[in-house]
Amino acid sequence: MLTFDTTVLKFLLDYNVQLVKLPLLGQLKDVFLIYSMEQNQNQDGLSYHEFLSIIKEINKLTDGAISLREPVLIQYHLEGESIDHIDTFALEILYNRIHVKEDITKPKLVEPMKRKKSILTDRLLNLLDGDIATTTTDNNNRLLFQAPLQKGLYQRLENLLKEDPISFQLNKERAIHCTTKAEYIPTCHDKDHSMLLSQLVYIVNNKIVSMQWSKLNKLNHNNPFGQCIQTHIHYVPNLKPQTDLSLGDCSYLDTCHKLNSCRYLHYLQYIPESLNETNSQQCEEYNHYEINHNMFYTHGLNCSYINKPILPPQWIRCDVRKFDFTILGKFSVVVADPAWNIHMNLPYGTCNDIELLELPLDDLQSEGILFLWVTGRAIELGKESLNKWGYEVINEVSWIKTNQLGRTIVTGRTGHWLNHSKEHLLVGMKGNPTWLNKHIDIDLIVSTTRETSRKPDELYGIIERLVGPHARKLEIFGRDHNIRPGWFTVGNQLRGSCIHEMDVKQRYEQWMGQQ
Amino acid sequence: MSQVEIPQRKLNDPIRSPKHVNFKPIREFYNNDYSNNYIHTNSYPQKHVTNIENTVEGYPKLQKLFQEKTKQNANYATKPYGCKVNIDEMVPTLNKWIQHDNITFDVVMIGCLTDNQFIYPLLTQLPLDKLISKPGFLFIWASVHKINELTRLLNNEIWAKKFRRSEELIFVPIDKNSPFYPGLDGDESAILEKMQWHCWMCITGTVRRSTDGHLIHCNVDTDLSIETDETQNGAVPSHLYKIAENFSTATRRLHIIPARTGFETPVRLRPGWVVMSPDVMMNNFTPKKYKNEISNIGYNVPLKNEIEVLRPKSPVSKT
Repeated sequence: MLTFDTTVLKFLLDYNVQLVKLPLLGQLKDVFLIYSMEQNQNQDGLSYHEFLSIIKEINKLTDGAISLREPVLIQYHLEGESIDHIDTFALEILYNRIHVKEDITKPKLVEPMKRKKSILTDRLLNLLDGDIATTTTDNNNRLLFQAPLQKGLYQRLENLLKEDPISFQLNKERAIHCTTKAEYIPTCHDKDHSMLLSQLVYIVNNKIVSMQWSKLNKLNHNNPFGQCIQTHIHYVPNLKPQTDLSLGDCSYLDTCHKLNSCRYLHYLQYIPESLNETNSQQCEEYNHYEINHNMFYTHGLNCSYINKPILPPQWIRCDVRKFDFTILGKFSVVVADPAWNIHMNLPYGTCNDIELLELPLDDLQSEGILFLWVTGRAIELGKESLNKWGYEVINEVSWIKTNQLGRTIVTGRTGHWLNHSKEHLLVGMKGNPTWLNKHIDIDLIVSTTRETSRKPDELYGIIERLVGPHARKLEIFGRDHNIRPGWFTVGNQLRGSCIHEMDVKQRYEQWMGQQ
Repeated sequence: MSQVEIPQRKLNDPIRSPKHVNFKPIREFYNNDYSNNYIHTNSYPQKHVTNIENTVEGYPKLQKLFQEKTKQNANYATKPYGCKVNIDEMVPTLNKWIQHDNITFDVVMIGCLTDNQFIYPLLTQLPLDKLISKPGFLFIWASVHKINELTRLLNNEIWAKKFRRSEELIFVPIDKNSPFYPGLDGDESAILEKMQWHCWMCITGTVRRSTDGHLIHCNVDTDLSIETDETQNGAVPSHLYKIAENFSTATRRLHIIPARTGFETPVRLRPGWVVMSPDVMMNNFTPKKYKNEISNIGYNVPLKNEIEVLRPKSPVSKT
């Protein structure tokens, strides 16, 4: 009696729930459409009429497993006949009966299970592509790049959007090969180790002066503790008679001024000399053998990158507010760390800030990048200033401030409403500099705090990778610790002046003569 | 303090003297350059922060404070509410709440950690000053780029008078595989890869941190959150809710997400919050039910002695 194609039966089984739910609502015409899309490798597909007759046949065999709804009038529109409910149990029995006859070993209903698990977008795309995509899964890769299938296109598009542009990849690759490696020692996080160490160290005047060699040497070489000491930084509790361990750690740690009376716990950094030596030796070797300065890919760098020496540090001591910036010429990068002076209760800055705003920084760059350190309310003022000077804010770098132990700063009242664990560095761009080496670094710096308002040196590395070591770089409001090869520093706290660029020197002397 | 035992070498173990290991400590303080290390090892600088999993590690008083705050907040939280509305239905719905149901909120958070948010139209169409009571607190989370664009709106005089910008918070994903990694969206001009989300925190009305301890608890959290191991994938990490909960004692909290977040990013509910989003997991909010519950709980989490003793306070000026 089985005169019909079992594909219809199988189709109804696989999709039973989806067919009755929105948006199809069991509309037989739409169900048929989906069915024929599913089956479109069969050239001699069924007609709608045949499809209907098969459904009726199934109903006859299963005693009404597919309950149908009569055509109804919805909003002046006659809806066709639709499926109200599908009794999958009855259909399954029928299906299994047919297939037992055809092929006993065939696994039952594996296909629909797989379908349910797959991702929705996948299913939809498969539907769009018809069966070509599902039947040739083995050749997925080939398909991905050849067939103009929706799925292939979609995935290629996804990959394209996720992938860094080649220029970024090249920049990164070059940075790995050209950036001198800095020493790096991992930190040990094992509390037991630091407690053990606290019993081995001799501390005099809050400094570790020596270790109990005898005990240390007793440690087996392969002992994990011994190994750890020789490879990691340790922080040793500085236990003193007044230390009260129940109080926890001191908020100031190594910067505490009352080390000899503070009852909170302090720590001392411990790195054995041997570790330091081997580490710097390895680093030196790496830099000697692995770091290659003879790069032929010089995009974004000075074209004589290979043999051009880097200028020694240059600086001018001056009152920045009265200085004639045209003396200095143009720069690729400018860094400014102004001493913002903002009263919390005023919506706008004080006199000093207006002075800052009025600095003629427009002259320093025809195109390039300006890094501006800002705090609290100065964020807004800083953004305004950048716009006024002709810059567009394109990045914001956060400096995550850490303490001696590498923790973020969470104690004290470091901010007005919330505590402050980071500082902001606005990045403004002027013009359209095509010579930048973008996307080498990320917009975060994690670094230990030092003297008040001293900023992390990591920024220099980031900037030198961004514009190359030969690009002209200026730091305004710099202090003595800011002078650096390849950089020009100006500020009123510097000691004297030192200029190597002849044209700048000439203009400076001329200007000084006029003063 | 428990004594830790030094591991003893077995007696029959032959003494192997290490090849001249100099255990003498170095003198200067040593610092790693994590930016340089990132270039060579691809290990993100933020991974080296040592108190990510427990930010108040080493500070027992603060740990206790956080526990007490969490407990107290949980005791005075409404049940989690979801309000599923389309983005273009948000303003009419909120207007209805304001005018018809007379509902206001003390803490309003807008946005989540995705791009393509419709924050600007929401902010310009919504009578925010009527939705937020005074004093009230507004948190706007978006990409750095978006926050920067919003600066223009939020800095205009009418806005700046009503909502005083108070803090800028950031959230940092741990690496590129994080569900909160911002990706390359809207990144054409950026010269550094983006690894953070920003939040604009505003205060409306007057609160004083020295005298309004019943309304706000200052300096409990910091302006920085880093993704932890336990951070669940979702529209926003729980950190963002926690900061608001720890800061303001208000119990009426609303979170509006003017964005489609898709199937892969669930919009979870949170006790104490009404979450409005087109994709929120549940749709159980009715103004009547909510008002009833709030009237039982009260508008503010009551003061608790344990918390008052522990929380950082402004020094009392001696007069």
